Amino acid sequence: MKFRRTTASLALVLSGALLLGACTSPEETTETPADTPAATDTTQAAEPTESEAAEPGTDADVPAACLQDVGITATQDGEVRYTAGPGDWSGYNSITYKTYSTYNSAVAAHMFSSFVYFGTDGTICDNKEFGSYEVISDDPLEVKYTINDNAVWSDGTPVTINDYLMDWAAQNPEFLVPGYASGENPDAAVVFEHVSSSFAQYVPEGPQGEVDSKTFTVKFTNPYPDYKLTIGSALPAHVIAKHAGVSPQELAQAVLDRDAETVKKAAEFWNTGWIYNPGELPADLNDVPSSGPYKLKAGGWTAGQSLTLEANENFFGTPAATKNLIFRFIDDAQQVQSLQNGDVQVIQPQGTVDLVGQLNNIGDAVTVDTFSSLTWEHLDFNFREAGKVDELDAEGQPTGNQVDSPGSVFADGQGGLKLRQAFAYCVPRQQIVDALIKPISPDTVIMNAREVFPFQDHYQEVVDAAYGGEYDTVDIEKAKALIAEAGIATPIDIRVGYRSGNQRRTDTVAAIKASCDQAGFNVQDTNDAKFFDIALPSGDYDVALFAWAGSGQITSGENIYATGKGQNYGKYSNKDVDAAWSELTATLDTAKQIEATKKIEKALWDSLYGIPLYAHPGIAAYDSNLQNVRATSTQDQISWNAPQWLNS
Amino acid sequence: MIRYIAKRLGISLLVLLLGSLLLFVLTINSGDPLEDLRESNAPNRENLIAQRINYMGLNKPWYERYWEWLTGAAKCVIGQCDLGVDRKGQNVNAMVLTAADSTLRLVVLATVLAIIIGVTLGIVTAIRQYSGFDYAVTFMAFVFFSLPVFWFAVLLKHYAAIEFNNWIKEAQFEPLTMVIIAVVLAFILMAAIGGDWKRRVINFAVAAVVFGGALFYFDAVTWFRRPSIGLPIFAVVTLALAALIVAMTSGFLNKQVRNAVGTTAILGIVGYGLLRGQLMTNPSWGLLALCLLAAIAIALISGWLWGGFSRKQAMSSSFVWAVVASLLAMGDLLLSNWAKYLKEKPRPIPTIGSETPNYDSTFWMHSIDALAHIALPTIVLTLISIAAYTRYTRASMLDVLNQDYIRTARSKGISERKVITKHAFRNSLIPLATIVAFDFAGLIGGAVITETVFGWQGMGQLFNVGLKEVDPAPVMAFFLVTGTAAVLMNMLADIAYAFLDPRIAR
Repeated sequence: MKFRRTTASLALVLSGALLLGACTSPEETTETPADTPAATDTTQAAEPTESEAAEPGTDADVPAACLQDVGITATQDGEVRYTAGPGDWSGYNSITYKTYSTYNSAVAAHMFSSFVYFGTDGTICDNKEFGSYEVISDDPLEVKYTINDNAVWSDGTPVTINDYLMDWAAQNPEFLVPGYASGENPDAAVVFEHVSSSFAQYVPEGPQGEVDSKTFTVKFTNPYPDYKLTIGSALPAHVIAKHAGVSPQELAQAVLDRDAETVKKAAEFWNTGWIYNPGELPADLNDVPSSGPYKLKAGGWTAGQSLTLEANENFFGTPAATKNLIFRFIDDAQQVQSLQNGDVQVIQPQGTVDLVGQLNNIGDAVTVDTFSSLTWEHLDFNFREAGKVDELDAEGQPTGNQVDSPGSVFADGQGGLKLRQAFAYCVPRQQIVDALIKPISPDTVIMNAREVFPFQDHYQEVVDAAYGGEYDTVDIEKAKALIAEAGIATPIDIRVGYRSGNQRRTDTVAAIKASCDQAGFNVQDTNDAKFFDIALPSGDYDVALFAWAGSGQITSGENIYATGKGQNYGKYSNKDVDAAWSELTATLDTAKQIEATKKIEKALWDSLYGIPLYAHPGIAAYDSNLQNVRATSTQDQISWNAPQWLNS
Repeated sequence: MIRYIAKRLGISLLVLLLGSLLLFVLTINSGDPLEDLRESNAPNRENLIAQRINYMGLNKPWYERYWEWLTGAAKCVIGQCDLGVDRKGQNVNAMVLTAADSTLRLVVLATVLAIIIGVTLGIVTAIRQYSGFDYAVTFMAFVFFSLPVFWFAVLLKHYAAIEFNNWIKEAQFEPLTMVIIAVVLAFILMAAIGGDWKRRVINFAVAAVVFGGALFYFDAVTWFRRPSIGLPIFAVVTLALAALIVAMTSGFLNKQVRNAVGTTAILGIVGYGLLRGQLMTNPSWGLLALCLLAAIAIALISGWLWGGFSRKQAMSSSFVWAVVASLLAMGDLLLSNWAKYLKEKPRPIPTIGSETPNYDSTFWMHSIDALAHIALPTIVLTLISIAAYTRYTRASMLDVLNQDYIRTARSKGISERKVITKHAFRNSLIPLATIVAFDFAGLIGGAVITETVFGWQGMGQLFNVGLKEVDPAPVMAFFLVTGTAAVLMNMLADIAYAFLDPRIAR
């Protein structure tokens, strides 16, 4: 099989050589500074830790956790690139229950101003550039809100009570959907697909004031400690009115007059008019005005790729530091390389040990910041006695049958407090934190409270009052003695339930088993993909291992710890705790709130509701050339202060 | 034939229907659609859960949910698809369109490249069976075939994007690096050309010197920061290309073909010389398409006029020259704009995405931007699918080369070139038709990992996200598109097979 190749090979060599021997193009190149994180000087941006009080320029009135004045007076050209994760942006209205997601919220945070915002540790900060509020009566709680005169939407329309009237109406108050907000008829068909109903629930009369006015008052049914969070940002009522075919004044008046027919006209646009097909911004950008430092940029959305916000030139507050803010949609696993290559400048991926290693390997070009988040891990006991329970099907829906349940060995009728204490003595909390959390976030400590986090102001005070430190270290002998006192025959089977698929929890249970089995327990890892559907609601566990994501609210814990509440999965009941919660939810006085919190924590420790473990670690990394990047423990993500980000 | 096709269609529809039922049931049972809400501490958590149960229809039995989807999807038959909305309230029809668009852009180039390179390698290795080159290609084919895509992609991102971008700032080689590159390239070229020892040594030495010299030259003038081919080199290269084509097809003794290709080449080079300035300053897709069409027209006409008794061959040879030379011209234009692109984007190769957000620049800058974004995923997809093509082509070519009619052709005294290009090559392509069609259908849905790693939100991503959120609408839309593509492509392959091989149609 000889192939005559003389000419062919000659031609091949010739053309190959010539191809490579080509000349260069005549353009003269001048080296421009690369917009890369590589090879930079080590000038450090503001250190984004919790202890920021000493930063120059700190306004004495502004708590350290809130936005600080970093001296921005004008918008600089250029762009900053950030990724919040792989989720595409899906709509301007991010508070319908379909579009409500961290990805959409991260974008919306910069397009809507509000009276308050969360500081880095969950502190509620006042946004004085937008407006102010004052409590004018304690009981009934009445608050007067004033929107600054210069606060306008980017199309020039002033932000007024009209927007807040619409905001209230969109939460389906009584006159629109009877029984819904009050909870009497939770299955009522809603008019607006609003993700929340708390405004309508706590303020049944709605905002009071003149149409088009810059001030309004709201009257709460009870003294409500979380009143600051009830009124947030509002959507532009004038745009809604335009699409409903009425004037803004008519729409506002209709809400004041409880004219349900007129208000219902707005529902269709509110529900679906602001949700767009992938990559298609509305032709008329006046439909999506902004009251924040950034607004949507024409042509700035590519489906699945990126969304660009540009500085709002009509913004009334401190302008955005950089002209364009780009959100890119990048999978967590790809974010480190994107950061290293300069495709994005700020990332906040899910923290894993591998990731910390990868980020540290990049070197000085990237600043890595670890912190604790407002999500915390805990072990909760089951207090159910043996008896009949509703059977649940595979979807977690009751089948109508009743089945026998053995209850839990930790219930007061069985092992009771002694057994719970024995378990608490053998859980190796320090070891769990050291082995699983510290490699990611070295400053993490064991969490000894439930309603305050270790990085918050009153943590030490509350812990000192509530907890004696007895469960900090493992004491197997004491555990054995307590088991003997409880009078349960060893080995005692303990089902530790959690949702499968989380390696950290598997490791946690393994550590508990290694320690507690020595004391006479037989810890069983009963993880299940449907743990939250079936095992948790039906009580088929002894100890539940999961996390709560903190909402920043003061009163939300009542739903977890008070008798008979919805998230009290273990059927815990304690009179002192119930009483302290009633006290806490009825006062606006911060000092009294802390006192009540101490009582709650102490009772929860004394009766051992469960064992708190740690606050989840978070990790953020950014281009060291970018100034003013500051991580936050809240669910707002690191982009919470993106309008301050500045390329140096 | 019609009956056969109708029967195939009927069976395929049934398969699709049953498949959709199975997938639907599997999807809605694959996890907990409320997972993200369960651990939420939001005060209105109960409300959120109730709302989601309501609008996703989680409280309905599975057959009701499936029926709802099916009635919407069935409207596709009359052109009014309603694939529903996803969990975020987005219209799935629109999502599928954007996803399919991005996937097609991603896989078409990779598939075409893989076919061209894979088939070429397969033919060459079959001709040089059991040579060093054959073993080397086989070895590399298996290496690439067995590479985990994820790992390979991440490595590629590190070396071909991050490290390359660091390097391109200076674009300087170490002398040792240059020597090694030149030697390796020369060795590969020598092995591919083959021959006796003397030839090999000469080929190797010449190639090494040429490559080495070129590299030193490139390095000295930082060619990689401001590359260009330029008109004179373009002319020389395309003339060499013409010589190669003539040598490979008819040989230089065939005056008709030689003259046809020569005429096309000279006219083409002159035409490019005249239009290059215009194309550099004022380009558009229309103008480029027009140039390509003009080149093809010149090729066909000159083939027709010069052709005589080998008109067909003259036309096809000229045509090949026109297409390849047009691609080269395009490459020249892109390279000439590279320096400008580097100025606007100092780190040219991205690790993620399909475009630079908000990039506002000229036609050529946008073209380079698109190519820079597509480069890495294309390399990954091409390399992993080359292997299969190489192996299939090699096996099929060897099979054909051992057939009686090849021996007959040889014994009649037909030149080896003709035996291979006319008799063996064509027949060896028949089984490939099936594989190509099937592969293409598979690629549309199968690029899940590549899409994820490179941040292309295509069909794979649609499926992946839908499955993660236990949201049947996008998953089913994915199934509908890829399932239909697989069924159609399969049928096309069967029909093409019948046409290519008359024995089957009989």
